[in-house]
Amino acid sequence: MGNITVKKIDTSRPMTFLERIYIWEILRGLWITNRHFVVNMFFHILNLFGIKTKRKGAVTIQYPEEHRGWHRRLRTRHYLARREDDSPRCVGCMMCETVCPANCIYIVAHDHPDPNVEKQADKFTIDMGKCVYCGFCVEVCPEDAIRMDSGHLEICSYTREDMIYHIDRLLEQHHDPSDYKNHEEWMEEYP
Amino acid sequence: MLGELILKTIIIVVVVNTVLAFGGFLTWVERKQSAVMQDRIGANRASILGLRLWGLFHILSDGIKMFAKEEFIPRTDHRKLFLVAPFIAWFFALMGFAVIPFSNTLHVAGYELSLQIANPQIGILFAFAMMGMTIYGLVLGGWASNNNYALLGAMRGAAQMISYEIALAAAVVGPLIVYHTLNMQEIVLWQAKLWGGWLPLWGIVVQPLAFFLFITAGAAGTKRVPFDLPEGESEIIGFNLEYSSMRFGAFMFTDFVEKILVSCLAVTVFLGGWQVPFLTENGFVFRGETLLALSPLVIWLIQPAAFFLKVCVVIYVLMLVRWTLPRFRYDQLMHLGWKIMLPLAFANIVITGFVLLVLKA
Amino acid sequence: MSGKEKKTVKTVIDGKEYAFPQGTTILEAAKSVGIEIPHFCYHPGLSIAGACRMCLVEIEKMPKLQISCHMTVDDGMVIHTNNERVKKARKAMLEFHLVNHPLDCPVCDQGGECNLQIYYMMHGNYISRLRENKVKKTKKAFQIGPHVMLDQERCVLCSRCVRFCQEISKSNELGIFQRGDREEIDVFPDMQLNSPYSANVVDICPVGALLDKDFRFKTRAWYLESADSICPRCSRGCNIEIHYNLNRPWKNEGRRLARLKPRCNLEVNDWWVCDEGRYSFKFIDDDNRIEGPLVRTDGKARNTGFKEALELAAESLRNSAASTDVEIAVLVSPRAANEELYLLKHVFSEQLPGTRLVFSSATPFEPTEDDILRKKDKNSNTRGAELMGLTPDSAQVWSLSELKDAVLAGEIGALYICYHDITGLPEEFSAGWAEALERIPLVVYQGTNTCPTSEKAQIIFPAAAFAEREGTVTNFEGRVQIQQKVFEPLSEALPGWQIIQSLGVALGGSYEYESAEEVFADLAKNEPAFAGLSYEKIGSGGFVAKDAKA
Repeated sequence: MGNITVKKIDTSRPMTFLERIYIWEILRGLWITNRHFVVNMFFHILNLFGIKTKRKGAVTIQYPEEHRGWHRRLRTRHYLARREDDSPRCVGCMMCETVCPANCIYIVAHDHPDPNVEKQADKFTIDMGKCVYCGFCVEVCPEDAIRMDSGHLEICSYTREDMIYHIDRLLEQHHDPSDYKNHEEWMEEYP
Repeated sequence: MLGELILKTIIIVVVVNTVLAFGGFLTWVERKQSAVMQDRIGANRASILGLRLWGLFHILSDGIKMFAKEEFIPRTDHRKLFLVAPFIAWFFALMGFAVIPFSNTLHVAGYELSLQIANPQIGILFAFAMMGMTIYGLVLGGWASNNNYALLGAMRGAAQMISYEIALAAAVVGPLIVYHTLNMQEIVLWQAKLWGGWLPLWGIVVQPLAFFLFITAGAAGTKRVPFDLPEGESEIIGFNLEYSSMRFGAFMFTDFVEKILVSCLAVTVFLGGWQVPFLTENGFVFRGETLLALSPLVIWLIQPAAFFLKVCVVIYVLMLVRWTLPRFRYDQLMHLGWKIMLPLAFANIVITGFVLLVLKA
Repeated sequence: MSGKEKKTVKTVIDGKEYAFPQGTTILEAAKSVGIEIPHFCYHPGLSIAGACRMCLVEIEKMPKLQISCHMTVDDGMVIHTNNERVKKARKAMLEFHLVNHPLDCPVCDQGGECNLQIYYMMHGNYISRLRENKVKKTKKAFQIGPHVMLDQERCVLCSRCVRFCQEISKSNELGIFQRGDREEIDVFPDMQLNSPYSANVVDICPVGALLDKDFRFKTRAWYLESADSICPRCSRGCNIEIHYNLNRPWKNEGRRLARLKPRCNLEVNDWWVCDEGRYSFKFIDDDNRIEGPLVRTDGKARNTGFKEALELAAESLRNSAASTDVEIAVLVSPRAANEELYLLKHVFSEQLPGTRLVFSSATPFEPTEDDILRKKDKNSNTRGAELMGLTPDSAQVWSLSELKDAVLAGEIGALYICYHDITGLPEEFSAGWAEALERIPLVVYQGTNTCPTSEKAQIIFPAAAFAEREGTVTNFEGRVQIQQKVFEPLSEALPGWQIIQSLGVALGGSYEYESAEEVFADLAKNEPAFAGLSYEKIGSGGFVAKDAKA
């Protein structure tokens, strides 16, 4: 576990002469940025010549090719889970729709053919363009039907209509737990 | 006569194209340098057939993007001014290069071959005049945009650039007293002297304060961070607010051209221009001993390379400043310009004159 | 309450002394001073059952807790409604109620307005100790009548519905069967819960055992907003609440009005409303609503906007009035609000003097009547028209058959119809009208929905339905009651009084009412029967107009 230390700067004290003339402090600042440039450039050049170093010239993660993996608590795109018999778990209770702070869930429910099952969702639509990924819908679901661990983060489209996910798209099985890291793994990798 | 015309045309084409290419290259340098300074990688995605070359093609893709973007022209009474303003700034910034001596004069077959477009006696005044003119493009653009924010940005820009042009000119007076000439080539030639036989007597040595004032005022004159109040792209919005497409590109490009111009002036006046320490007409000479004999043509080729290197160093420093310091507040800007830099520049003139008088005596 | 001599008694409830009329139950007394005692089986409109034991309170000097719904207050009584002993008892009772109650609140349509849910959150809130399986009842989501669904699992056996069927509707369909924890509510064999008041059991059911088939799963109770109104279906003028949903248009197939619920008014309808009235709102969000002013030329109707349609109507009416051979007739509707009737009367008599008013209270509905609520007259405002002298009792006003004779004689040049679907009326009224309408050169129709009569009209004005406009209606006993504006009229429709006012302006008059309330103020000034009335005075309970007893 990494500890964050905060350097306390007393701003109430009067500035020293060097600070007041400003130029010295500017030079100090330039020295820091210059040092970063030189050191980073050194490692970049080493890498360019194929010399592997533990330290890299940049902390950048080249996103589409590589990504950080997902923390177990990460909220990704919703999907609707199914029961063991493959029927949707959703019972159309509209709790998620009620709790949704962005009003992006639209449910229309109707009678379930089996009288022992009260109702089922006829239409279940999430407007991903409006969703704020708060996860309240997951929290509130009494049936654990709506989940946010699909591992789909890249939600983009060319039209607004494509951002609206209807029940058939939400019911597709997406969950891939192998992409997920638990907290300890995560902290080790990205302290 | 015709031969001279052709020669000058060739030189003009070479200089202008070099400056423009270098300006374009700087857009990439700026992104990359800031990235490396900030532990990032920087733009590296543009590729041709999978070849990325550390993002060099971004220069190309940015250009294509600028041309392909929708050009939006606001409803304004000054449509023509609006259209032409970016190119006014651009034109005057380029004009400044006319008097920059990139190399020594080479006498070949009766021709004077020098990488300098014109060599008037008042060369440095011409350069300052051209730099001062770029402000017109900015003010006209802000005015013709028919937008209050653009106008305010232009007014900020005009005030700032006038304030700092004065400091800039005043800072240069000191060295000019020392050099005793306004001719650019002669300024460079003066700096060939060695002090005590080993220290090149460049402007920065004889006039360190003036050099510092010049670099600061130059950064302000090119309206770069921390003096980017006319533009303030991140929040206060500036004179180029209504510009889009290539006209915006021209404004942005002018910035880079101006930056090169200021660097060239700084190099010419303070860093010995194309001079290489200990390089004389015969090659490298130290305390009367010839270390390396070189042919005049090689020397003539080394000189522009040295000039280019010096310009690169100055630009590196300017960019280092640009990516290190936060923007000044407007009152701080004015305070610095009028109450600190101008008095310092005047003090520098007085002291220089006094010291010269004493030395003469 | 039988009050020959109202003796007041002094009683201490929760440490404060109050005075109540003798004979008040403790539950009602506490409610009147703002103390809510939980209860399931008690209903002010029904007999006392004492079945749920939820309303237990402690009365000092009594050894056991007493049910407050049955016990009446008396002098010197010291009552504790919320001390530890009572709370413990309540919690224990709730545990009993919940032993066999399923945990399906999320899917239960009563969720959000369920007393069991509310009381559990307020008084229960324990972790279940039940280890056995719940007893499964036989019927789940079972339709026991045209409007009511039964779910026996959820029932807490309060017997309100049984008592309702015995005491109010007197139809005796429901009963309690079996014993112990197999006890269940059901309809008697070979019977259906099909009395004209059947859906009231849904309202009084404190849990989700009896649910409205029409409303089930359409939306959730907490999405609905509520506004007070008056049932438009008969001359009883039952007080209702309109539950509507504007924020979630994808619910309920886009219908704004979700359901009607009775509102207690002891002078009119007590706590009840009949099924006919309860489901009478469907026309409001129907597909056949008239959405804009239409002008029909060569059989084709086109939306012209109000300005053009009004000008055309005014010009045509004026042309008819100019002709000496024919008359203009206005068919007044007893379903229009008082304000509208008043304006009709005045605008036409002032702008087109000599206009013949025609009145008919015929409706296409079956004239059902009983001594509970339903009245034979299925119009909401017949009495209002009567009080304004718009009924055929007065010589100037024609009946529908008189009008037909005049039409067939070719004496009618233009007919302005309000709301009436003449051709859709029962045979005795509508006979011959299909042809008769063809003989009138100009028919102007003002109404809410497209109907065969509007199809015959040349100019059609879209009127707002009762929930879309403000207005007052007068019930059979002369009680004037307010119908609130619940939501905006559908697309271009306007309240009836506004259409008639605009027509009056197009005819050259100057009418500058800005709201229905202003019209009513004038009405109260000019119509002696309504003298002294105002919206403020009418309030939510209604006010009986003067001379109404006549």
